[in-house]
Amino acid sequence: MRSIKKYLFLALLGIVGISPALQAQQDLQISKVFDLYGNKKGAVMVELTDEMLDGYDFSLFKSITIHNNPQAADFIRKCLLKDQPGAKKVKQVVANGILTSVYLQLPRKGDLYRLILFNESFSPAQRITLIYIESKNDSDEVLKLILKKK
Amino acid sequence: MKIQKKQISCISQMDELMEKYYDGLTTVEEERLLHQFLMKRDLPERFRADKEIFGYFDHKKHKPTFRILPVIRWGAVAAVVFSIVFSLQVMTNKHESNYACINGQKTTDILKIKSSAMASISDISGNVNEVDEGFKNVNNQDLMLQQLNVFTESDN
Repeated sequence: MRSIKKYLFLALLGIVGISPALQAQQDLQISKVFDLYGNKKGAVMVELTDEMLDGYDFSLFKSITIHNNPQAADFIRKCLLKDQPGAKKVKQVVANGILTSVYLQLPRKGDLYRLILFNESFSPAQRITLIYIESKNDSDEVLKLILKKK
Repeated sequence: MKIQKKQISCISQMDELMEKYYDGLTTVEEERLLHQFLMKRDLPERFRADKEIFGYFDHKKHKPTFRILPVIRWGAVAAVVFSIVFSLQVMTNKHESNYACINGQKTTDILKIKSSAMASISDISGNVNEVDEGFKNVNNQDLMLQQLNVFTESDN
């Protein structure tokens, strides 16, 4: 009986060992946006982990910019709708009934603060930007830093 | 003397059981007794042949049993080894998680990655501040005068 418990514990340890390697944003619908559009033409996707980025201290920074793709914008909006429950809407812009900009503060995952930033602009051409950030710093501080960069 | 008598009666019992066995009339319990008897170390010589026969059929009768402990044991070892290997891979390949995909082309040039990241942040933060613009419109003196003129015209 003792040996069964020992081996079950080892198996559990193995499973626990794997789980930290799984990324926190995989539970979000927006992860599909990166998977679907990240490698496409007309898209620029960036992933940075634990890198200092001009004064920003992010655990994870993931962004995608897509040009001239209204379907992608619709898809992103649908994903955001599913990820919104439980999130704090810091900013939202709706133009002609269509969401064109939103900043969401997601519920924390462990000790990580999480943010989703979305913007769709039409000048000079249609451009969609989606950013996902994980940080150990308070997301209010992160937002202040980002909004200062104008 | 008593022990010898007991042994003799036991052997004669076994003889009977052996005959029953060859006639195919033994019960499971009787076969078990026979098996026990034939597995003894001090088995009389004349039963050696029967022991060989029993051993052959015993091998055939033995059902394969499934034991779960080795499965759990190997599963646990595999899980531990896998997690160690996976964690080592994640740690050594950490730098590969910094990348950019530009028009389908992957790059690990950190300068390009950072400049693309900063560009996306500028996209987000550089858009018009709709609240400020709204207030500007409200505070616009020309607009206020225009709206006031509507009332003065209507008075006339």
